[in-house]
Amino acid sequence: MTSLRFDTYDWPGGREAMLRFGPDTGPIVIAALPLFEEANRTRQFTCTILRALADHGIGSLLSDFPGTGESVVTTLDTKLSEQRRAYRALTQQLGVHSYALSIRSGALLDTDADLAGRWHLAPHTGSDLVRDLERTRAAASKSAREGEYAGNRLSPEMLAELQDAVPFEGGRYRVVRLNTDPRTADATYAGAPLWRRSEPSNDIAFAQQLAADISHWIASCEG
Amino acid sequence: MLVIFEGTSQVETTVRAVLADILGLSADRVATFTADTPLFGALPELDSMAVASVLTELEDRLGILIEDDEIDGEMLETFGALVQFAAGKALV
Repeated sequence: MTSLRFDTYDWPGGREAMLRFGPDTGPIVIAALPLFEEANRTRQFTCTILRALADHGIGSLLSDFPGTGESVVTTLDTKLSEQRRAYRALTQQLGVHSYALSIRSGALLDTDADLAGRWHLAPHTGSDLVRDLERTRAAASKSAREGEYAGNRLSPEMLAELQDAVPFEGGRYRVVRLNTDPRTADATYAGAPLWRRSEPSNDIAFAQQLAADISHWIASCEG
Repeated sequence: MLVIFEGTSQVETTVRAVLADILGLSADRVATFTADTPLFGALPELDSMAVASVLTELEDRLGILIEDDEIDGEMLETFGALVQFAAGKALV
């Protein structure tokens, strides 16, 4: 198994960072975290899934997109369309079979990319995300500045793009949800919605179950 | 398990599970909650951000819609009040 490495990719608006896990050969899994606050709550969990995928012999990467992670683009200056553009540039630069592993609103980012398949965990629509943002903003109303949502400053363009955004469910597609979520899914698992938990947390057993699910699914897609 | 209101045991179970999952409380701890157990202001884990998460997760699990103008201190005052509010939404 190859250890964790730091790498970058270029898109028409600049350069973004990514962490790479597992082998360089074979299909690559591209992990997209949820946008905004939920990213902090799911990052460690996602890294646990990616390490477990490496144990299954599958390489992966956890990428920043414009306005996320270590990106020099501010949340105020980014738009969903730019994040999708960066995602597409990333898959083009990789030039190999790549599969999306998108969590929650991360599923809004992989829509325009050329992917061998998409695996979504509890995908969120843009309108549901905006509703969550508005509710959180209302809860923090005393301190929020104009255009600020739970500490993220967002442009009206970004909010308008998010409002209409839905995950792409075409091609090879698998959606996985928690067993407490009544919406349609290809598979459900017992676990806690870490993306909503007040303090960031992890669930190693759940992450390992998901890695096994992804590994089997990719094998069936490749086979 | 204690049933606070007739016909609401499923809703009550869901509210308990949501509080455990979102606030990171143990199942043993939420199992001790009774109708009178104070929530908002008494549980340090339940800050205003967590309130938004708890309500949104309840919406998802119960298939209900909570309007922002319905959210007030009273519905979050005690466990019983939150179950009653959720049941009023879920069982109509």
